[in-house]
Amino acid sequence: MLSEFLVITVGAILVNNFVLAKFLGICPFLGVSKKLDTALGMSGAVIFVMTLASLVVSLINKFLLVPMKLEFLQTLVFIVVIASLVQLVEIMLQKLSAKLYESLGIFLPLITTNCAVLGCVVLNAKAAPDSIQSTWYGATIYGFCSAIGFALALILFSSLREKLDLATVPKAFEGTAISLVTAGILAMAFMGFSGLV
Amino acid sequence: MSIAWIAIISTGVIGIVLGVVIGIVAKVFAVEIDERIEKVEELLPGANCGGCGYAGCADFAKAVVAEKATPGQCPVCAPVDITNIADYLGIVAEEKEKRVAVVRCSGDASHTERSLYNGIRDCRSAVLVAGGAKGCDHGCIGFGSCAEACPFGAIEIRDALAVVHPDLCVGCENCVATCPKNLIIMVPASIETHVYCNSPEKGAAKRTYCKTACIACRKCVKVSEEGQMEVDGFLVRTNYENPPPPEVVEAAACPTTALRNASLHAAGAYEGVSK
Amino acid sequence: MSDKPRKFKGGVHPNDSKALSASKPIQQAPLLESYKVIMHQNIGAPPELVVKKGDTVKKGTLLAKASGFVSVPLHAPTSGTIKSIDKCPGPTGISVPAIEIAADGEDAWESPFEPIADWMNADPAGLRQRICDAGIVGMGGAGFPTHVKLSPPEDKTIDTLILNGAECEPYLTADHRLMLEHAEEVVLGAAISARILGLKSAVIGIEENKPDAIEKLESVAGKYNITVQSLPVNYPQGAERQLIYAITGREVPIGKLPMDVGCVVQNIATVIAIAEAVVKGLPSIERVATVTGKPVVNPGNWRLRIGTPVAKVLELAGGISEQPAKLLLGGPMMGIAQSSLDVTVMKNTSGVLLIAADEVSLYTSEPCIRCGRCVDCCPMQILPATISQAVENKRFDWAEKLNVMACIECGSCSYVCPSHRPLNQHFKRAKVEIQAGLRKKS
Repeated sequence: MLSEFLVITVGAILVNNFVLAKFLGICPFLGVSKKLDTALGMSGAVIFVMTLASLVVSLINKFLLVPMKLEFLQTLVFIVVIASLVQLVEIMLQKLSAKLYESLGIFLPLITTNCAVLGCVVLNAKAAPDSIQSTWYGATIYGFCSAIGFALALILFSSLREKLDLATVPKAFEGTAISLVTAGILAMAFMGFSGLV
Repeated sequence: MSIAWIAIISTGVIGIVLGVVIGIVAKVFAVEIDERIEKVEELLPGANCGGCGYAGCADFAKAVVAEKATPGQCPVCAPVDITNIADYLGIVAEEKEKRVAVVRCSGDASHTERSLYNGIRDCRSAVLVAGGAKGCDHGCIGFGSCAEACPFGAIEIRDALAVVHPDLCVGCENCVATCPKNLIIMVPASIETHVYCNSPEKGAAKRTYCKTACIACRKCVKVSEEGQMEVDGFLVRTNYENPPPPEVVEAAACPTTALRNASLHAAGAYEGVSK
Repeated sequence: MSDKPRKFKGGVHPNDSKALSASKPIQQAPLLESYKVIMHQNIGAPPELVVKKGDTVKKGTLLAKASGFVSVPLHAPTSGTIKSIDKCPGPTGISVPAIEIAADGEDAWESPFEPIADWMNADPAGLRQRICDAGIVGMGGAGFPTHVKLSPPEDKTIDTLILNGAECEPYLTADHRLMLEHAEEVVLGAAISARILGLKSAVIGIEENKPDAIEKLESVAGKYNITVQSLPVNYPQGAERQLIYAITGREVPIGKLPMDVGCVVQNIATVIAIAEAVVKGLPSIERVATVTGKPVVNPGNWRLRIGTPVAKVLELAGGISEQPAKLLLGGPMMGIAQSSLDVTVMKNTSGVLLIAADEVSLYTSEPCIRCGRCVDCCPMQILPATISQAVENKRFDWAEKLNVMACIECGSCSYVCPSHRPLNQHFKRAKVEIQAGLRKKS
């Protein structure tokens, strides 16, 4: 049991990193990584939404969709649930912490379309029935760890991009081009973790 | 009951439940937002130049709606935009005259080169090591720190001299603070005639290193009406309260061409005409 | 202090080229027809003019009085009349106000104050006031008023007086010659400074490439309980913080002053000026400067009056044998390039250096290749490469975070950079922008 949790944790954060190994959530990965500060805010928001979404979705899946043989509705229902969760978070955040709300700005609604969140809950739903990931707590932990992996990649990358600002880049590579090359190299570095679990 | 009905009903129920929850939460956590801010922001130019002293147009819009600022404080807005904003908010817009920047120097590289400068090509860095390559302590260094600061491309560096294009300048004042020699001033756009020199040195001293310096010969003072051109030490300046007509430049026949009309200066009409 | 001196981390070893002038005794420059004394010769407030055009002055007459605590007066270098009070090219390339004196040739002397012969029993405050009245500033290059350096605030205890005889700057030999020819005055000035600070001893730090100076000073230093410490040859050994570390092992924290670690550092030429001001009653109107460089016919060390135009200085040294590419006031590492021969000798002009065309090359600044040489050689252990990139991108906040304010502008990084990046100029810019930002905030 404990070893299974360890496998999920290490696997989700390092080996099967959502951004760098599964290539999910590339949009915010490139869009929000210009500054470390916004990257940290985005990471926090994604961790919150992804963990909550994993929990809620796995409950709906387990107690509603599977018993009623409605698995074909999974994508539809998942998206609706994620979108509603993001909406809720946004409304509450605006009231509770206007400052954080302003600093996250457009990124908060963007999480709705962050395919990492949907990917995470879909992977949970598709997990083998006897694995720990198919339980609600297993799914929640997987969601949380995947989000940590996403945050790790985002923070690493934004630190790199801040340094990249200072570099002299050939004209043709300026802007997004050099960022993508950097992301590729970062992904290659993460390949070093493959085979760990 | 067929699977289709089950699907429709259960999806519908999920949708209704979520909708209700969101509705309740939205009511509980409602935050009042003034939609006027958005509207004002739409009416602003959106250049985010910071010329108004606020951090971008959105911030300025907020201040305008909160009546901490007046729409006229936006230096970029055309008068008609300002009137629109004022009308929308139901306040009275004050009259605002368009202002443009003037770089008070006409000494290009061919006139004022004194030594070789091989350092960083940036005015504010050059001024720290002997003030760059040009001979005049007070003149334009010509590495274009002002042009870099201009979000509207209104400053051109021509032969190591910053030249403002008055038609492109919107008056955001971003360039004013970047000039390490404090050469840039904001003047009403309707005034054409300026003295393109800011050196307080004696005329003879100026002439040794710059062919287009103002030597305070007062020719322009004589041909203009009383008070239109002011003498300040070894320098003549336009009186911006009581400006001379553009024809003064022709009439004065400034021997060093330091007296110029802004639009002709921008068009390069005075190049190579110094005696 | 017999223990082995520490070696500060970093530093460079440029070709010192001191052989050109090291063996040349100090010569007295002849009287000229006119002198242009630059008004503002010290760090701090410029002095206030007390003479006007047409006034007759004698050698030593007060020209301008101190206008605040961090300010020093100015004295006439010779007798004559004030020809004009106008502008002349300053050492930073910008014209500055200067007093032109037409010499009458008599060089008549008027002492602005009496000698204090019995300095050993004199009141330290009086001695300090004398140093201020004599217009003495740090003659090593910075031009910081000496009496301010000798007035530590009451909450700081000073336990070490260090005399800077390192003269690590290549080409310059003025301090070296002074130590050889005026060793007694050096120790006398050191003893007076020590008395003002309430100390009984002092240390003279000398780079070991000047064994004759070490020997000479050791022979006279015992009189006032002064020790001589030989230091490894390493530029910038003569920088305050590096010198303090080498001699005492104390590190001056960033943003703090030597006073904060109980040290005061004085230049050799400055303590000689102190000795002359106190014991002989002479104001600071002369200084010894090295006139050197490959294009100079007779490189040497000259005792020059303040206000001597550089053109005349070069004439004294026999003129030039080839067209120089660069004229520097000071040494090659920290000296300032000049665009005019009309610039005049100031109290902190340690040398006039000409560089031949084949000794310099015109380079362009290339991108940083991240070789890290500048990081290795930086005596302040900051990251010149990264800071310069931050400055190039106008990210002064980054530069500040990377401690650009600690930079002592020694130029070691620019010297070693294989990409010829103008690192030092970048840092100067960053410091100015950061200080402007601080002013704006306050």
